[in-house]
Amino acid sequence: MSGPPTTPRANTLFNPTTPATSRVLASQNIQASPHYTTTRRHSLYGVEDRVIIDPGSRIWKVGFSGEGRPRDVFLARGKSGASLWNLRRATELAERMEEEKLLEVNLQTCLRSVFHDSLLTDPKARKVILVEHPLLPLYIKDIIARILFENHVPSVSFASSHLLSLFAVGRITGLVLDCGHLESVVLPIFAARPLYPHLRTTPLAGARLTSHLRALLLMFGTYLPPPSSLSAAINVPAANRATRVPQEVLPDSVIDKIKTRCCFVGDILGIPADARETTPGGDDGSEFEIPPSDTTQSESDFTGGGSNISSHRESSSEFSVITNPRVLPADAPRGENHLQALATLYTRHSTATELQMRVMPPPFQQTGTGRGTLIIPGWIRERAAEVLFEGGDVDESSIAEVILDSLLKVPVDLRKTLASSILVSGGTAMLPGFIPRLHAEILRALSPPPALSRQPMRSDRSLPPQFDQYASLRPLLPYFAILNNPSPPPPMSDRARGNAGKAPAFSPAILAWVGGSLAGSLKTGGVEVAREKWDEANTNHDPDQSMDVSAGFEDRAAKNILPDWTRTPLPSGAPPASAPRIEVGAEI
Amino acid sequence: MHVRAEKNRSVDRRVESRFLDDMAPDVLGIVSCAQIAEIPSRSFLRIHQIQEIHASQSPWDSAEVGITFEKPTGLAAQLQKFEDSAPESLEFDRLKEHFEPFLRAASLSSSTSTAPAVAPSSAAHSHHLHSTSITAAASAALARDIPGVSKYNPLGRSTSGRAGVNGSGKDRSRNKDEMTEYRSRVDITSASGMGTGGGDVDVEYMRHLETVGEVASLDQRWTSSWAVSLQAQDLKPLRIPLHSKRSKRCPACTHILIKPEQKAQSVRYKIKLVAANYLPAITVALPHALKAQAEAAKRTLGKSSSAAPEDDRGGTGGAMHAGKTYPFHLALTNPLYDPIQVRLSVQRMHVSTAASYSADGALEKARRPPFAVSLPTSSFPIAAFAEAWEYEDDEDMFGVDDDDDIGTGKGGREKEGRGKVKTVGVLEKRANVSVVGGEVVIGKEARGAVKFNMLVSYTYRSDDPAPSEGNDGSPSKSTKPPEIKTFAFYTVVDLGPIIPRDDLPDS
Repeated sequence: MSGPPTTPRANTLFNPTTPATSRVLASQNIQASPHYTTTRRHSLYGVEDRVIIDPGSRIWKVGFSGEGRPRDVFLARGKSGASLWNLRRATELAERMEEEKLLEVNLQTCLRSVFHDSLLTDPKARKVILVEHPLLPLYIKDIIARILFENHVPSVSFASSHLLSLFAVGRITGLVLDCGHLESVVLPIFAARPLYPHLRTTPLAGARLTSHLRALLLMFGTYLPPPSSLSAAINVPAANRATRVPQEVLPDSVIDKIKTRCCFVGDILGIPADARETTPGGDDGSEFEIPPSDTTQSESDFTGGGSNISSHRESSSEFSVITNPRVLPADAPRGENHLQALATLYTRHSTATELQMRVMPPPFQQTGTGRGTLIIPGWIRERAAEVLFEGGDVDESSIAEVILDSLLKVPVDLRKTLASSILVSGGTAMLPGFIPRLHAEILRALSPPPALSRQPMRSDRSLPPQFDQYASLRPLLPYFAILNNPSPPPPMSDRARGNAGKAPAFSPAILAWVGGSLAGSLKTGGVEVAREKWDEANTNHDPDQSMDVSAGFEDRAAKNILPDWTRTPLPSGAPPASAPRIEVGAEI
Repeated sequence: MHVRAEKNRSVDRRVESRFLDDMAPDVLGIVSCAQIAEIPSRSFLRIHQIQEIHASQSPWDSAEVGITFEKPTGLAAQLQKFEDSAPESLEFDRLKEHFEPFLRAASLSSSTSTAPAVAPSSAAHSHHLHSTSITAAASAALARDIPGVSKYNPLGRSTSGRAGVNGSGKDRSRNKDEMTEYRSRVDITSASGMGTGGGDVDVEYMRHLETVGEVASLDQRWTSSWAVSLQAQDLKPLRIPLHSKRSKRCPACTHILIKPEQKAQSVRYKIKLVAANYLPAITVALPHALKAQAEAAKRTLGKSSSAAPEDDRGGTGGAMHAGKTYPFHLALTNPLYDPIQVRLSVQRMHVSTAASYSADGALEKARRPPFAVSLPTSSFPIAAFAEAWEYEDDEDMFGVDDDDDIGTGKGGREKEGRGKVKTVGVLEKRANVSVVGGEVVIGKEARGAVKFNMLVSYTYRSDDPAPSEGNDGSPSKSTKPPEIKTFAFYTVVDLGPIIPRDDLPDS
């Protein structure tokens, strides 16, 4: 059974282990299906299997451990598809409390539906493994734990989603990228130990893609309102009815549909290196994500003006060689021209077909018959995801850059190992072509920067060395391999050949859940918090804790028993200078 | 070839329609397929046309995705067969085999391979966790020394050692974590060659896509943990999830409030104690909307155009324009056997609440409450509920809604005719229903919906304790003989959307 589907391994280094592995495999073959059925029986009548909950900000995946697929996947906020939480919280105290209350209500609905609708099980009976994103805010974790314990769950284990994703591909070492809805996070993991301090993140992820896609459609899409009468449908040519796309026909659900059913990721355009330098499309990332139409959108809360200013400042000070000044959204005409230029560039290079989609007409236009038609240009389908690969911004590195940034922080002796075992998980990575493109982007980011024809300021001084961020990673170039790359490029090294595309064909979005299921069936999982512990901490500690802890943190006691890597004591580095310790603490 | 009698069982399988977007999932039935010559005497699944809208659509049959079977048995059994040999479950078992020796070597206790990483942080805060991680580490150390149990470790070490010697020496970092390499049963590269998993094949397919419908929607694919084809035609049937019936308990006293009958077919309740039995029911009516509706109905009665339903629903007849004043009626129905005195008061609109209630775009504009509501301030009575048999004619009892409509419609017309009549105050009292009129003044730049909080407080005298005990369900309160009881609750009244000034429809 192990034979036919597996491609033969290229390297022969591990020949000694092969007999051992195959013996294990043989026994597994005999056991496989009976074992599976027994675990299934457990899910029905026993309580050994744990409940695995992978709570995303938008989509939740839930099921029982020991099963290969989740029992249910659902949108947390129902059909609306809104996300439960965002990257930012309200600053005002009253508003924030309101927000948290709402979040709690929503989470409670979700968690109840997990037990009552999806799994049909009694929360009292089973332990829960919570697949925990490393950047999941503590207060959300706290709310989830509180709701679970109020529903008498015996214990909750917190397991890192990135680590679980690695488990699901049979490894314990790797560089894991999770490209989800709110952000893309890279976390290096060595021997099942997540190296949290080397974590890197960027807000270029599903939500950004959504708002970018909407902006593109508003500008370049075509909308045909429903014909006012049935005869008009025949007589009036479509071209005469064509209008710009009104915002109302693009609710999140429609955008989502387009994203998941129409979009894919094309190859790097043929002129990658020059595009950066010569054409105005060079650092398109910055302007690209803020088309003028964005200013009218209320929901594009990630392209806020505030971050622009700060990033502008930083980029000009630190990376003035690479990044051009960011075009601020106020600069509408230029942005529009620029987008137009991009559009023509992409149109020329895209062979993707144009698609038509039926959409509900906006309420004030419901005069006609039937539905309107939205025409999606092919290049939007192919190039909408470009926004994820266009970096250059300090705060919003491209996804390839964020991987390299993390790699730069990793100890030197681990870099090769990690570079050759990159794993991509998360829903946004499900876009067809995403992973191969990511690999290409990594290689592109590592390619030597084009020699700028600069004149030295003064003739007596030699030119300062060009800023080359990833120079130290360049020797690793042949070793880069993405474990779950469906179409790996021709390998440049044995290592890459042995790793690239060798992961089991689990879909990236469910990887973390599968890992959780695996951990649950192996009776492991992250740090476990038992209900008794929780109750104890919440009844005893709360009153006296609130006396000596500052006002904003009354819930500190409750949170204290939840595991959290951000409270890991820092490694003792250089001895502190004269600066008092408090300042160090405040910075963390 | 024998033709089986058609058996349309209700089956626990569904295929979401791939013929039309936004279509509800279909329930499949099993039919025999005598009409297909190539595969005689086999049954297959076919969408059982349960929705009229599907009548003209071509049916789906499972032969397309390779599901055929000898006997028209229960669908679950058929699917079980496929699920047990599903690639994800086979791969999953293999992964388990892969990790088990490693974990056994790493620790015998319930602690995990992740524990070493996380334990230090938690240990700093919890003594308990600290101690367990120590015991875990101890047992792990013990386990490592026992030969035979830790058959993994020596092997792994020797392997890495030999790799260093035999293999190209530069690749010494290959096996740093001392974990044997996992070899997938089906790896992603070979899977994507078959058009799954988001590889080049998929990209090409997407590039030449003709219609959106060819690609399966996200919710049709997302429960699959294995790389699946994007194409809608490859969709396999799914099981229909079971539904649960829930009973509800009072959060304070854990008394069971609602308990459905256990039988799946029954829709009745064993216990049903709902608040609606004790609180006055409130129905809202907008006289002008009712009138508009009636006129629209009259208009569309003659011509049965296809646009009629839209007119009824989305027509602007019932909506309210900004800058105008509208009367509205609240009909309160008393469910109790005692007459009650009701007082209504509208919560003052604070700016912040107004802002949050108004629609998304209008946050800045909603500095002031966009509308003002006036209701009668004095309390008014509602007669006691009398059982149906106490009425002379059933019309009064069951025709409440119709009467209401007529009455309010009349009120609206009278108002127009005679100018200012009483719109605020008690308009009508019938049996246990009182209709109260109110008025809403909508600001010029108001947006969103007219939605306000209303405090309803009602009092009644329970003269004789015995019957009220039976009715009330709160026996503790009715122990003292004649007693005034007061209850109050908040409710949100939604009068519907406001049509903003600027985009009045031209129609």
